[in-house]
Amino acid sequence: MKRSVWLLLIVALVVVYPLLFTTPFLQRLGALVLLYAIAASAWNIVGGYAGQVSVGHVVFFGCGAYASMAFFTHFGWPPIAAVPVGMMASVGIAALIGVPTLRLSGHYFSMATIAVAELARLIVTNVEALGAAVGLSGPVMPRTVFDLSFTSALPYYYLFLVVLLAVLGLTYWMENSRIGFYLRAIKDNERAARSLGVQAGRYKLYAYMISAGLTSIAGTLYATMYGFVDPDSGLGILTSVKILIMAALGGAGLLFGPLVGAAILVPLEEISNNLLGGKGAGLTFVVYGAIIMIIARFYPSGLLKLALDRLASTKPALSDQKVRDVA
Amino acid sequence: MSMSLLQVLIGGLLLGAVYALFSSGLTLIWGMMNVVNFAHGDFVMIAMYVAFMVWKVFGGGPFLAMPIAAMLLATLGIIAYFSLVRHVMKGPMLAQILGTFGLALLLRYGMFWTFGANFQSLPENLVGGTYDLWGIRIQASRLLAGTLAIVLTITLHLMLTRTSLGSKMLAVAEDSTAAQLMGIRPDRMQAIAWGLAAGLTGIAGALIATFFYISPTVGETLAIIAFVTVSLGGFGSITGALVAGLLIGVIESLSGYLIGAVYKDIVVYTIFIAVLWFRPQGLMGKN
Amino acid sequence: MLLEAIDVTKTFGALTVVNAVSVSLGKGDILGLIGPNGAGKSTFFNCLTGDLMPTSGRVILNGEDVSLMTPEQRAVRGLARSFQVPQTFETMSVLENVMIGAFLHTSDPAKARRRALDVLDLVGLVDVAASVAGSLGTPGRKRLEIARALATDPEILLLDEAMAGLTATEVRQAIELVRKIHQTGMTLVIVEHIMEVIISLAQQVIVFHQGHQIARGTPQEVTRDPAVVSAYLGKRAAADAARGFAGDQT
Repeated sequence: MKRSVWLLLIVALVVVYPLLFTTPFLQRLGALVLLYAIAASAWNIVGGYAGQVSVGHVVFFGCGAYASMAFFTHFGWPPIAAVPVGMMASVGIAALIGVPTLRLSGHYFSMATIAVAELARLIVTNVEALGAAVGLSGPVMPRTVFDLSFTSALPYYYLFLVVLLAVLGLTYWMENSRIGFYLRAIKDNERAARSLGVQAGRYKLYAYMISAGLTSIAGTLYATMYGFVDPDSGLGILTSVKILIMAALGGAGLLFGPLVGAAILVPLEEISNNLLGGKGAGLTFVVYGAIIMIIARFYPSGLLKLALDRLASTKPALSDQKVRDVA
Repeated sequence: MSMSLLQVLIGGLLLGAVYALFSSGLTLIWGMMNVVNFAHGDFVMIAMYVAFMVWKVFGGGPFLAMPIAAMLLATLGIIAYFSLVRHVMKGPMLAQILGTFGLALLLRYGMFWTFGANFQSLPENLVGGTYDLWGIRIQASRLLAGTLAIVLTITLHLMLTRTSLGSKMLAVAEDSTAAQLMGIRPDRMQAIAWGLAAGLTGIAGALIATFFYISPTVGETLAIIAFVTVSLGGFGSITGALVAGLLIGVIESLSGYLIGAVYKDIVVYTIFIAVLWFRPQGLMGKN
Repeated sequence: MLLEAIDVTKTFGALTVVNAVSVSLGKGDILGLIGPNGAGKSTFFNCLTGDLMPTSGRVILNGEDVSLMTPEQRAVRGLARSFQVPQTFETMSVLENVMIGAFLHTSDPAKARRRALDVLDLVGLVDVAASVAGSLGTPGRKRLEIARALATDPEILLLDEAMAGLTATEVRQAIELVRKIHQTGMTLVIVEHIMEVIISLAQQVIVFHQGHQIARGTPQEVTRDPAVVSAYLGKRAAADAARGFAGDQT
């Protein structure tokens, strides 16, 4: 029963974190961890569960971020009201990419996601209405609470926590429903799955579209917190990389993998940025690159799985079924 | 046809030939091992920096830089194959893509950290000036790059189809299990392919450096161009890469001339998406 | 007629691998396809399952032309198959493997689980339901594949060399299982190398040789057919006789 005690402690810590660690830096750090955990968990649905590696996932993040900032700039709406619009645009783009490429080998899909993300970034950089290279901003002074423009990071922390729980809840439900089983089967052996009537292309597409919509929410939340988006922050490949690596480091295909990855990498980046300054940004990504290569080479299942396997091997006769349940 | 349009076309063909040169390595690897090297563009970028350093340290031009870059990159390619690619090939798609993608980041930001974000460039007349042939102005550097690129790409194709080493590599591409039964070692062939592909990026990079700016982020754009070329040409087909490369070069130059330099990247990426939608097997691909 | 193949031909470039083969199966029939390697039986089999599309000719399932349909579309219409080299979901448990099949007719995991357990009971794998499929040996995997295919509640089950790689005892157990399945009303198409299996199980046999069907009939008729004996069975029949094998009467 020691395990459930540990779990309870972790949950409690997560819930009261910003009340325990009250400096603005630490509260903001916590909120950022949760924000990236949302994005990485959304990516996990298509990249981890469906096994389709989207390298250009930032395009959905950007849809959400730009939709919210554009709706404020052009119509004066509270940014959060643009969530449905961002989601619809994302789902549409996902269909555009997914329909032709998900029936081809995985490489085509991955390359297509990069190309579309870059295309989006180039287009937005040249469209005045979307802020061009300068970007778009949100409300300078909050007009109502719905503008979600807070000076302290604390409300953001709890908002993001609620959204993360919703995303994880949706993922958990999916994991244990037919689509979850089908995705595991497709990932394991697509040919065998199809012989059993599984419409592989369709389910991969569903996973991609769901992932896209949820990532867009993360983008909107990002924009409300920063009050700003530009082609680099909203559509740059580095955001795709960060999301991907957090999910992969923690454990793609595991429910809490992305959260673990975010909890490790977000503080790491903040600390290295503070220590190394401007040039540090380059070094951070050298380290990211090295980490990604090491994961790919030695721990493709991620750190969480590694930890769980270690724990499982210390307990007698723990069946695989149970190990998976804990994850 | 107006002189300036002809000039744009020829410029596009010459550039396209260089695209074909470094894309042919990518398509070779993809055809043989079904692995996409996401670090391919960054290999070219490294070669460009090698050319820069060769000039800075020895004062040498492309004829010194090309063999040095080719050897260095080939070594890098083989090391990457044995330490990383050979292992991730057998694993899930995520590991495969992450593997070379991580390498890309490592190389790109390693160079960023070493050289900074500033653009470097080789002196303009390193390869001689600009020729004026019947009213068409061509830079000597681009002319050299283009012609060498075509020669080398065709040589690669001939090597694969006419030599015994080449047919062994093609056999592995076709069916590695059958090739093994014939006594060919797929492992060795794949390592050679990686070394060869990387070596070609070395030559391409050294050539491009003579007329294009050098920066750590150049690899990203070049990677997409390589992907488009390989997709359009058909994966595994060197001749496809040649035709597609020339085509992309021309379309890119024409777009820059007709619509504006800012939009030529957009045109290239849009072509890519169109290819994926309508003809994913490319012009000459089989699958 | 449950399943019909009408003049199915498959060519790869200039090579004709299957040459105008026709077949007709009613409910409850068992069809055996035999022939040496490269004779075209596996290719014909794959045209029935949808892994390959016939170059010409038609495949008709329950009156519907399925010639150009994908395997998943055929599965929905009641056609299930096993693979020559077992393609089990290695990372999933035995139970979960079979559930994937069961999900064809229900989206409720609880119902799928119950159905899967029923099927596992039928094939005798209930005891290992929680084990990972990757931990099973070859006979277990083959049995699992059959269970998984059965869970889709098919009308016709196509077995691709299901007995290959099994010991004599395991082959006998597998034959028992196939008989049991047949007794539930299943229609079967079996591709096999092993004469014992075909003779034990099949009512109708087609012998393939170089893409053509060179003989068709009951197992007894086919084994006595001079064309078959000379092309394929010559040595085998003699060896079987020497071992004292008489063949079961189905």
